[in-house]
Amino acid sequence: MAEAFAAKPGALPVLRGRHDLPEISGRISAIVLDGRLPRYFWAAFFSCFVFVLIFLYSITYLISVGVGAYGINVPVVWGTMIGNFVWWIGIGHAGTLISAVLLLLRQPWRASINRFAEAMTLFAVAMAGLFPILHLGRPWFFYWLLPLPNTHMHWPQWRSPLVWDFAAIATYASVSLMFWYMGLLPDLAVLRDRAKSRPAQLFYGILAIGWRGSAFHWARYQTVYFLMAALATPLVVSVHSIVSLDFTFAIPPGFHSTIFPPYFVAGALLSGFAMVLTIAIPLRWAFSVQDLITLRHMDNAAKLMIAAGMIVIYGYASEAFFAWYSGEIYERTMMWQRAFGPYAPLFWAMLACNGAVLQLLWFRRVRLNMPGLFAIALIINVGMWIERYVIVVTGPSRDYLPSSWGEQSLRWLDFGILFGSIGTFLALVFLFIRILPAITIFEVEELAEERGSAG
Amino acid sequence: MRLYGVIAAFADPEALTEAVRTMRARGYRRMDAFSPFHVRGLAEMLGMRKTRLPWAILGGAVAGAVFVYRLILYSVEIDYPLNVGGRPLHSWPAFLVIAFEAAILGAALAAFFGGLAANRLPEYYHPVFNATSFTYARGGKFYLLVEAADPKFRKGVTKGQLTRLGAETVEEVEA
Repeated sequence: MAEAFAAKPGALPVLRGRHDLPEISGRISAIVLDGRLPRYFWAAFFSCFVFVLIFLYSITYLISVGVGAYGINVPVVWGTMIGNFVWWIGIGHAGTLISAVLLLLRQPWRASINRFAEAMTLFAVAMAGLFPILHLGRPWFFYWLLPLPNTHMHWPQWRSPLVWDFAAIATYASVSLMFWYMGLLPDLAVLRDRAKSRPAQLFYGILAIGWRGSAFHWARYQTVYFLMAALATPLVVSVHSIVSLDFTFAIPPGFHSTIFPPYFVAGALLSGFAMVLTIAIPLRWAFSVQDLITLRHMDNAAKLMIAAGMIVIYGYASEAFFAWYSGEIYERTMMWQRAFGPYAPLFWAMLACNGAVLQLLWFRRVRLNMPGLFAIALIINVGMWIERYVIVVTGPSRDYLPSSWGEQSLRWLDFGILFGSIGTFLALVFLFIRILPAITIFEVEELAEERGSAG
Repeated sequence: MRLYGVIAAFADPEALTEAVRTMRARGYRRMDAFSPFHVRGLAEMLGMRKTRLPWAILGGAVAGAVFVYRLILYSVEIDYPLNVGGRPLHSWPAFLVIAFEAAILGAALAAFFGGLAANRLPEYYHPVFNATSFTYARGGKFYLLVEAADPKFRKGVTKGQLTRLGAETVEEVEA
């Protein structure tokens, strides 16, 4: 970790070294145009692709056999599908936070990581969107959630959080896509002009829709981009709040709690930043862009993780405290059973990952140690998945009538779909890195120019 | 060859800004500048009026929310009223959630498509691409284009003025 020791405390630069503009755009676009990929890129892609196939097989099996094929059973009728859904949508939120909130706060360090963080958002939302549909049992009727004119004259139940959820996720996916494309536009023009082969020129030329960097265009672009960021910020909070309302509107003990919206949003940011680091650490190493995605980025992301993580820990404490303080025997029993019942190992694993391991990030040495930080990010990803699963499962398993208590078990299909979705997500990230610039060229150029390091 | 204008390339944003200021002072009005990233204040200097896009975006938000709220009201009060234990049909707190999401979606659609339309994108053809010196490929150049349609435009004089402002290259652009 020579990199870490070279950096003085409090003086981590956003960009390291001197850069001139042709060098920045040349290096970033070479990854895409010349296919300058690290040695194991395609091997890594194809190992992810195996999981894409497993995902497709598992989905096919689930649809043809029915939802009983994975571990759900009465009374626990919400299983890993809902857990996966909440986990994936949460991962997406860090991308929006980096691209929108940090833009509004004018944090210069967002510039080199916002592009792939937004791509991560899109792919995570794409994964998340599948799970509620797969959970429906008859997925081919999912369009009944839409207010479409139809002959059987039904309307969606507007008062149901499940319908709100559908509206929120659909809005979130659309807004994220538009925001992402808007940010890509100037970079697509760079790729169009740098492309040597005719197919690449056509491909990026069509996508760039005639962008020429006119001063008038930039002025309107700036207005629109900032306003879209300002729209995405309340949106991201509302989306995960609505996801949490899926739980709190139901009455099982452990679901029916007002702490859920802020607690879920904080959990989303924690898992999202863990995923940003999980992607950024190998990315900067594999493509040797340590001078563009610097230790400052890693350090700041780790600090945001600990900020979000402490709110999550407060959420855990608040849940336990109000279960006891409510005086309700059902709430108290559920909490006790969560900690010492059949799901106790998962509960304590969750606390170990998100509570104990997280505390290591208070130390600067840990934040600047890339293998260590990568390991912590992975552990927190796992911990957040366990958290979602614990929340989904423990409430219904200890319902109001002890006679109807019951557990669910995980089957191969749960794992096939979970690991399949992770593989699909990573395969999409690999394709994205191959096809589009993973680092925002024009914003890094602007940053280099502002820092006076342009030659 | 019909002349569209003259394009000059500058090395950095300061030189471009200075060139725009000088050329405006000399009375040129039909000019455009091109840069790899946003140069603050350049568009205002070129005589761009304040954009009305924020109003369009607000309009999109209001339209989205009103449309969805009316749709819900139509469905619960007129098309399929369902009396559940005498609870009010118009249960507005529950309806606000989707109306909020619709406001965001309407505003984002207005921002995205309104922004593109205001910039007249997608655009299939623009003369500036005919200039061989105009490209993003070499990275980091800042261009000033003076249109031939400008009343002050004299080919030789304008080219000389741009060269004296420190332009690296000055090129005629075909229409």
